[in-house]
Amino acid sequence: MDLIKKTNIDFVSNRVAIFRASVIIALIGLAATFLPGMIDLGIDFTGGTQITVKFAKQSASADQVRAAVGEIGFGGAEIKSFGTTGEYLIRINETGRASEISADIVAGLQKSFSNDTVTLLGADNVDPKVSSELAFDSALSLFLATIIILLYVAFRFQFAYGLSAIVALAHDVVLAFVVSVLFNKTGLLNLELSINSLAAYLTILGYSINDKVVVFDRIRENREKHKGMSLVDLVNLSLNETLSRTLITGVSVLAALLVMVFLGGDVLEGFAFTMFIGIVIGTFSSIYIASAFLIWYSDRVQHKSVGELHTKKA
Amino acid sequence: MSSKTWSKWLLILLPIVAGAYLLWPTYNYYRMNQERESLIGDSAALESWDLANGEDFAKARNARLKLGLDLRGGMYVTLEVDILKLIEESADPLSVDEDFTNILEKTRTQTDNTDLDVLDTYLVNFRASGKSLLQYFPLSSSDEAKGGDPEKAIEEKLRNDAAGAVDQAMEVIRQRINKYDLSEVNIQKQGARRIVIELPDVKDEKEIRSLIQTTARLEFKRVMMNRDLIRTFYTIDNVLKGVVAAEPVVDTTATDSTAVAKDSAAIAKADTAKKDTAAAATATTDTSKKNANPYAGLSDDEVARRVKRDYPFTYMLTGLFAQSEKSSFQNFDLILKKAEDFPEQGIYNFVVSGTMLQQFLKYLERPDVKRAMPADLDIVVAARPEGTPAKDGTPEFYNVYGVVREADLTGDVVTEAFPSFDQSSNQPMVLMEMTGEGAERWAQITGANIGKRIAIILDGRVYSAPTVQNKITGGSSQITGATSPEEANLLAVVLKAGALKAPVKIIEERVVGPSLGEDSIRRGVTSSLLSFALIVLFMLAYYVWGGGLADIALMMNVLLVIAGLAGFGGTLTLPGIAGIILSTAMAVDANILIFERMREELYAGKTLKAAIDQGFEKAWSAIIDSNLTNILATVPLLIWGSGPVRGFAVTLLVGAVITLFTAVVVTRAMFTLIAASGATTFNIGQKRTA
Repeated sequence: MDLIKKTNIDFVSNRVAIFRASVIIALIGLAATFLPGMIDLGIDFTGGTQITVKFAKQSASADQVRAAVGEIGFGGAEIKSFGTTGEYLIRINETGRASEISADIVAGLQKSFSNDTVTLLGADNVDPKVSSELAFDSALSLFLATIIILLYVAFRFQFAYGLSAIVALAHDVVLAFVVSVLFNKTGLLNLELSINSLAAYLTILGYSINDKVVVFDRIRENREKHKGMSLVDLVNLSLNETLSRTLITGVSVLAALLVMVFLGGDVLEGFAFTMFIGIVIGTFSSIYIASAFLIWYSDRVQHKSVGELHTKKA
Repeated sequence: MSSKTWSKWLLILLPIVAGAYLLWPTYNYYRMNQERESLIGDSAALESWDLANGEDFAKARNARLKLGLDLRGGMYVTLEVDILKLIEESADPLSVDEDFTNILEKTRTQTDNTDLDVLDTYLVNFRASGKSLLQYFPLSSSDEAKGGDPEKAIEEKLRNDAAGAVDQAMEVIRQRINKYDLSEVNIQKQGARRIVIELPDVKDEKEIRSLIQTTARLEFKRVMMNRDLIRTFYTIDNVLKGVVAAEPVVDTTATDSTAVAKDSAAIAKADTAKKDTAAAATATTDTSKKNANPYAGLSDDEVARRVKRDYPFTYMLTGLFAQSEKSSFQNFDLILKKAEDFPEQGIYNFVVSGTMLQQFLKYLERPDVKRAMPADLDIVVAARPEGTPAKDGTPEFYNVYGVVREADLTGDVVTEAFPSFDQSSNQPMVLMEMTGEGAERWAQITGANIGKRIAIILDGRVYSAPTVQNKITGGSSQITGATSPEEANLLAVVLKAGALKAPVKIIEERVVGPSLGEDSIRRGVTSSLLSFALIVLFMLAYYVWGGGLADIALMMNVLLVIAGLAGFGGTLTLPGIAGIILSTAMAVDANILIFERMREELYAGKTLKAAIDQGFEKAWSAIIDSNLTNILATVPLLIWGSGPVRGFAVTLLVGAVITLFTAVVVTRAMFTLIAASGATTFNIGQKRTA
């Protein structure tokens, strides 16, 4: 099979418009997510106690659960449910007694809903101290990983390439984050920001940098092969030459992730969804963001001649 | 076949063999576990299965790929020792003033949300106040005697206490949790003042929780090893006889021949001490001829079975006796005897084998056994097995002690304990100091019990039972007899439990219910397999034979990542799966890069061999750069990332390294073999017309 023939698509002429549009969308999205109440931080980052219960016969509604939990003595509890009916997250702003609280709640709920079976799926109790440490450690390690990527790409290619990769990576993570935050509001999947979802964002980073390196590698190779070709032409040629690889890898990985989104169960689905979104965005940014930034940076900051696209070139 | 082809084959096959070897225990474990689970409910069969396969099972379990608690269910607890509370408690309560509490509070706000060392911060704050430590903290008599800078000595003591507190809390928790016979408990020190406890298969979290947080109790009790103790053993036998026999464990109605066969096989394999006892029992009674031996004429196995039935408690014990301190210990048995058969004078010693320890302790916990115990006697077991830790196979023995029920002295009189060395013999020992009040009581107790033993008991387990050499006045004691510095260290930690009640609090606790764990494993595995199958099929469809080779490399990739994880004793967690997904995606990508390049070369009219060479050559730089970027990026995640992030980084790191190997070395070897076989065309899904 050979679905993607040799192409000669113009990826660069509209680069400025697409780049601007993309950045504006990312910024608006980011601003929107920081409106109060938009980002749903998981228990890992807020601290507190969270209990997950399942009603076998799905007889309880969220309001009924809230009322029942209130009766047990936790009036301020936050009740959430995602996709799968009959499962509820009960979040209580109190730490230090997760086991007692969870045992009390399960027993209490069982009493209130005596015709159903209530099982405890999980309980988490995170001291605010731990959650702030987790947040700090996560941010630090993420930041350092980014710096290392920048340095390595700058060392293997050029500084401009490293910077372009980071800009594109930031774009990918921000957009994937925005989509996740917005999608979480639909209540179909649990996409709260937790320490586990952090691993999903790291995966996006890893996949995306892989994608960028492949394109950069082709540009590096073509620069040697076609001496004197303008940067714009080089970028466009390389994007076309790597296009079939970019799409085939992307599609096969996305198909695999899609299976996990639908069949992965509570634990994997949210995780796989974030990765799915991130990889779609990452594939797009390899073509439009990283290369557009590279050309812009070489032109405007480094004042190098980047040339114009020779549309006739085969 | 040329040597070159041979080496290529080796490159392909060797890793597969290595991977299979590393994953064999994992497979074995799940197979055996299934077998074992099917026996649950039939305790006789289970027991004999455990005896026949227990060792292999334990071995497989240790070497298998472990699943994280997020995938299998269980309980995860992080404890923190409250160093500030410790400082507060170490201070002389009479001298505590506002300045003192202010410094403590200041330190608390500074360290609450950071990773700063609490004690260091406290000392900095304290010095800034211009006060002297001596004003608040008592200087121990030994430090006073030593001279030197008292400020330094107090600082040193605080440091030791802080470090000791974590060790002590760990020891107490380990001992308590072991009592529950939970498999694969993991207790680890994290940083300087935290303890992480991972408990898979927890049934009652509430109970575990209270067990973790209750403070330990240190007691000194006189050892009472005499005929009365033996009488108590027999009393317990009588209590248990009817009850335990009714339970299936020792239900031995000899009608079912297979059951007997299983049971006797079990006993035959059981600890040697037991069989010796049984055999010796028949021998003794044969010669004594006092009364007809009820076991006469029975087979060894049958005797062992009946001994177990008639002496459910005593049969677990092995007795040792010496006439006096100078004579050596002789083994003796307790079966078919009465307490009166034993000499009044002499030194008794009893041990229980490690394999029976849990059962032994369980019997002692039974309310009916407790009721039958004499009012002034208690039976306690050593915390650690006797002697050096046993290697594979050799049974471990725990000393069993009879002690007075009421503690002669409780641990709160201990002010200090530290390991040291005996100057003259160069043997490790422990030095212990007591409060004035405690020292008075101690002098009385030791004075009245010279030549007798006093057990040091923490949380109901004996850590040492030294013999009193002389009356100890002044509160300073030397405890010798530790066989290693580690042992002395442990004893010091235990003794300190009296002085400081290592205040711990739970700062993180996660419980994954078994139903969620089961469900997540099932769905996770199915969806992952399906995803993988999809990629395999896709590669086959798109790159035909080339795709087939890539699939072999991909399967090897996943095999080796998982095998590597199992081999390094790693744990597979949810974020770890993300790492595997990413590394697999990159392995797929590496193959796609290579094939796309090969196709380009083939379209350009190159021969197969040239296309293979060029394809690999040109794809190589992209593959190595992208994988190396990821490998390097895992470094900070491994160093600074918290648990889950590190789990991700480990699998990604292992995966990326293996991707480099499989995609470049293995796939290449396969292609080279094809080219070497003389093929001129190879279908990697390219257009035929080219």
